[in-house]
Amino acid sequence: MRAGLFDKHLALISGSNAETASMPKVHDRILLVLFSLGLVVIFSGGFLNCAPNRLATGVAYPLSQAPALEAAAAMIGLCALALLSVSRRRKFRSFATILAAALILWGSLASAGRFAAILVRGGPPAARASLGPAFWTLASVAILALVDAVQKANFSMPARATIGAAFCAGFFLMAAAGDFDNLSLAREFSNNRGIFATELLHHLGLVCAAIFFALTLGVPLTVLVLRTKAAAGFVFASLGILQTIPSIALFGVLIAPMSRLSELLPLLRGLGINGTGPAPAVLALTLYSLLPLVRGFYTGFSEVAMEVKDAAIAIGFGWRRLFLEVELPLALPALISGLRVVTIQAIGLASVAALIGAGGLGTFIFQGIGQYALDLVLVGAIPVILLALLANFIFEMLLGLARRNL
Amino acid sequence: MIELRNVSKTFAATPAVADFSLKIESGAFFVLIGPSGCGKSTVLRMINAMIFPDKGQILVRGRDIHETEPEKLRRGIGYVIQSAGLFPHWTAADNILAVPRLLKWSPSKCAARLDALVALLQIDPTLLKRYPKQLSGGQQQRIGVARALAADPDIILMDEPFAALDPVSRAALQHEISGIHARSGKTIVFVTHDMDEALRLATGMAVMNNGRLIQGGTPASILLAPADDFVRDFLGGEALQLRLLDIVPVRKLMKPGKTRAASTIAADASLKTALNLMLASRRSSLCVADESGARLGEIHLSDIVARRDAS
Repeated sequence: MRAGLFDKHLALISGSNAETASMPKVHDRILLVLFSLGLVVIFSGGFLNCAPNRLATGVAYPLSQAPALEAAAAMIGLCALALLSVSRRRKFRSFATILAAALILWGSLASAGRFAAILVRGGPPAARASLGPAFWTLASVAILALVDAVQKANFSMPARATIGAAFCAGFFLMAAAGDFDNLSLAREFSNNRGIFATELLHHLGLVCAAIFFALTLGVPLTVLVLRTKAAAGFVFASLGILQTIPSIALFGVLIAPMSRLSELLPLLRGLGINGTGPAPAVLALTLYSLLPLVRGFYTGFSEVAMEVKDAAIAIGFGWRRLFLEVELPLALPALISGLRVVTIQAIGLASVAALIGAGGLGTFIFQGIGQYALDLVLVGAIPVILLALLANFIFEMLLGLARRNL
Repeated sequence: MIELRNVSKTFAATPAVADFSLKIESGAFFVLIGPSGCGKSTVLRMINAMIFPDKGQILVRGRDIHETEPEKLRRGIGYVIQSAGLFPHWTAADNILAVPRLLKWSPSKCAARLDALVALLQIDPTLLKRYPKQLSGGQQQRIGVARALAADPDIILMDEPFAALDPVSRAALQHEISGIHARSGKTIVFVTHDMDEALRLATGMAVMNNGRLIQGGTPASILLAPADDFVRDFLGGEALQLRLLDIVPVRKLMKPGKTRAASTIAADASLKTALNLMLASRRSSLCVADESGARLGEIHLSDIVARRDAS
């Protein structure tokens, strides 16, 4: 009680100190950095880029020329980050940061949509408005602030999922209302709307098939590596070499042997296995997945404490029980981590598969590069990033469950 | 109860145990002692078929261990290791009930057994829902001992079970296990390299070195007549006589009759305690009393010095 009073007095004295009063203490440096980043880019980079047609280089328009209401919302959110960085109360800071992030994100999205409508309506019929560096920075600032706040508040997984779903729902509502229709990115998307779902499913199909085959090969390999230490060096060395082959090269290298194989074996040809298409793509993705998968599984099982296994055997556990009730649950977090790495890697690498005609979201990326249409590249790239984030989130959740009692 | 006949075991060309024979009677508290790497743990692990001997025969309860399925044999033998080896993903209660559940006991029987063990080992019941990492080393080992006792096996193997504990927890658990042994008549085979621990607990012991049995017998017989210099050194060399005082009770050397000695010592205390009390009280004789405090007689310093052991 006495000590508390004394502290309060001390706080009052130091609070009245001129130096501390003029320079508030920063409690969250990350927010301050994000604010500064946003501020610099708003004044130095274009918010929207308007071109007379899809191929021409356009003129950059800063945020200051965007519709006032929406731009102001984004600015208020950004300034709020600076104010929050000096807030002492951690819980309040986390909640308020989430609101500020929402303000920045919705403000930027809405002003981009409205601004694009104004610019395109005033320009030639083929005019295109694409998102500029200021927009992307603001969006990134909002997302980073959001992720940081959620992590610092230590929200439960369901709470995190709800926040994520709320942000996604807002985006889809705005999209459905046609707010983004005049943005070049939305146009590229709606031009490809018909094949987007197909390519997305193709992409997921490639990833799932690769993980399936990686598991069918990886599990026996893990057993081999765990049983015979001599094999471990050889297996990891060969898988390591595979991993160093550049992805485009591996996809290309597989074309020749796969087409030869398909010529020789009519059965394979009948199954639709050719030098190009999904078969070599899945093969390449599988090969890339093997090293992280086997390494993760190997680490997981070899790190189960020797004395725990020893005690289990000594009190009468049989081999099956030892595996199912002791080794598997104790290795599970490492197994899930291994699968997470493999899945995220495969989601990214599957984009390259479009090069050898395997389809997937990479189709848009390579078309976009070929046509010098950056927004078409984004139609492929953004979903790839979102898929990877979603996979990461799902695996984090599983990891949380597996670690519950460890 | 347990018999090893001319057992040998070699690991990667290094002999761990060589031509080792040993007979452990039912109800013994048998301590295997020796320096690190002398093969004492290997002997222990051969008894429950964790390791099979290259040569020789091992009988448990009169039957060759090859006749019983290893898992079945092990479920009938309690086992405690140094670091407790508890399952980190199971609660203390689940750890204790590991073997009863392997033996498919009914839940009500398991619950009753858990209660009995909690009382026997004085385990705080609030600890039962905790996971091993939430327990101290002493608490973990208490759970480890409870797990070994859970299915009420007649044989318990203990591999340096208290070596990693603090002195207070170690003494408490030694006391506990010694009491359990005295009351239950279980056969305990206990591996240690700590001579004080061995002398305190053992009814029979075997000193090992380089995979061979150097000397077997009761603690007193080994202390009185060390077979060779190795055993003498291992017993503590010059301090050997003091060790001997530790295992002989005052009762053995006291003279019945009236006494005028001022300080009193219990009849069951060791001669070492008596000597210590004499030194502390600066007197050469002590009054000996039984548990109720009734005077039984007297013990004199000269009796201790001139003792002709007698244990």
